[in-house]
Amino acid sequence: MTAIARGFVAPKNRPYLFLSGTVFFLTMLDWNGGRFLTSATAFSVLQTFATLGPAALGLGMTMLVREFDLSIAGVFGLAGCVAVLTGGESAWLGLLFGILTGAAFGSVQGMIITSLGLPSIAVTLGGLLIGVGMAFVLTESQSIVYGNMDLALRLNERIATVFSLRSLVTAATFVVAAIVLGFTRIGRDMVALGSDRRSAEIVGLNVKALLIGAFICSGALAAGSGALLSYSLTSAAPSGLSDVLVPAAAAAILGGVSLSGGTGTPAGIAAGVLTLAVMRAGLNAIGAPPYAHDLAMGAILLAVAVLDAPRFGQNLGRLLNRQ
Amino acid sequence: MSRKALASNQLTAVAWLRLLFVATLAVAVVLTPGFLSAPSLLTLLTTVSFVGCVAVGMTFITLSGNIMSFSLGATVAACAVTFVAVLNAAGPLAGIVAALTVGGLLSGAQGAIIGGLRANPIIVSIAALALIQGGLNFITGNATTNANPGAGHEVLRGKLLGLPIEFVVLLILVVLGQSILTWTTFGRHIYFVGSGVRAAEAVGLRVGWIVTGAYFWAGLFSAVAGVLLGLRYNQANMEYGFGYDYDAIAAILVGGTAIQGGQGSVFRTFAGVIFIATIQVLLLLHGFRQEWQYLIAGIIVLLVVMLQTTGRRHV
Repeated sequence: MTAIARGFVAPKNRPYLFLSGTVFFLTMLDWNGGRFLTSATAFSVLQTFATLGPAALGLGMTMLVREFDLSIAGVFGLAGCVAVLTGGESAWLGLLFGILTGAAFGSVQGMIITSLGLPSIAVTLGGLLIGVGMAFVLTESQSIVYGNMDLALRLNERIATVFSLRSLVTAATFVVAAIVLGFTRIGRDMVALGSDRRSAEIVGLNVKALLIGAFICSGALAAGSGALLSYSLTSAAPSGLSDVLVPAAAAAILGGVSLSGGTGTPAGIAAGVLTLAVMRAGLNAIGAPPYAHDLAMGAILLAVAVLDAPRFGQNLGRLLNRQ
Repeated sequence: MSRKALASNQLTAVAWLRLLFVATLAVAVVLTPGFLSAPSLLTLLTTVSFVGCVAVGMTFITLSGNIMSFSLGATVAACAVTFVAVLNAAGPLAGIVAALTVGGLLSGAQGAIIGGLRANPIIVSIAALALIQGGLNFITGNATTNANPGAGHEVLRGKLLGLPIEFVVLLILVVLGQSILTWTTFGRHIYFVGSGVRAAEAVGLRVGWIVTGAYFWAGLFSAVAGVLLGLRYNQANMEYGFGYDYDAIAAILVGGTAIQGGQGSVFRTFAGVIFIATIQVLLLLHGFRQEWQYLIAGIIVLLVVMLQTTGRRHV
């Protein structure tokens, strides 16, 4: 019995449990209402997935190697501005420049972190502020409009009822990440590095390259989703500290990525992002007040924090033994 | 050259660089027309005070080895709303007490979970951010709470000894915070826990209580920022304190407090707050537009963090 219970709360299975639990709970709330299980909700879920997914995936990669990339919030907004400013002639060129900006941010931060041996939160805080600042400077604090309305429509056009080009691109990114991390040596090396850095160094892994790679992925992914979002909104604005960091971190954590490194998979992160997206779209659909999403997300995150806390298991064990 | 000698050489180099930085800044301040004029200085001192209070509070969290909190900005908003609401109902003193209680409890509860169960501070603070924002939205309906005219809080505005009252409060908090850290057993225990939880446990310190205490003080200091904002603007809403978390940790890092915990001080944080603000005002006076503020702050943070390297790897 306890084995089954433990299997349920095991970090490995937890993301899927959260996702199915959320879907189940919302279905119950909307019993016979016909508001939640609709193609409109599914489409809206996948649109949120498209925006949040890549950023969560990138952040998850850095968490997997036991680092934390705060700068995604800055890079996300900056890349949107860069893509809109440079994508006037060709949208692809703008997207490329946006992603290159993100990758450049990631590589510079990764190099500073590895070559000087600095904590990543401190370095990426600098990156975050610089990214936000560059977005303000480039746009002169103005909201800038992207003229290519056709592209925006095409990006958000429904494909097979529930998908859009944007969400399909994101899904493809997750599949590629899952294959690379699941079936190549890079994935196993990253898990090893995140689990125990000293041992990873001793057995001869190229620690620096892996770390820098994780930060490049993180920057490029956040930039890509930022650029695509700006295209689909046909505008970009220096939003200051854009709202992407906290939900991305929440999604990665719900997706079973541990901040202490070494655990987490792209599939889990996808489940984490979908959980948040389902919650947001579902609560909206059934007409729940806007604070319901925040409260539900906060409660689940707190539960994760408590369940994963080392002392929680000990205390619980002591309590159970006493009885 | 031995490794140790190299490290100590590096340290003196960093000290000299720091001195050079400050000296350049001082010269720039003196040479910039208009900087030392009263209105410009007073505005600077007022605006830094709000973030300054949060930064002083966050210093306790950073020193205790828990990196940073993402929820202090939201705590500021909660306390500002509480202050204005209670002020309308029962007067300024009750408002201040209520705001401090809310701030202390919100943050102290996180500390209890983090310290007592050793839960991850980043996850707990993100969860708390969502819960506080959701709760505030529930209570205020995303509306602005206005202070009634004549609620008796006008006395608390204005100047003290020629300084804006906000800045005087910040100075008091800095002295209070540093005194707690330097002269109380609790304060020294914070450093000890921040240097290594295992060692602190081994010598029998009550880590749970110490971390709870650090978060409690962080909440109290953030509550003061909330009260000051409510007083200054005569109103409060959910947007107050947005982004303060990042500004506060930037000031802490620029001051030279180690993000790994166990090293640093409130004085350093205060220096960091003043340093960043001074550079921003200097640039503004030299014709750089407002937009450059974040960029400059980011570059300063990055440079200072890079200067702090000892070549050793900290995780």
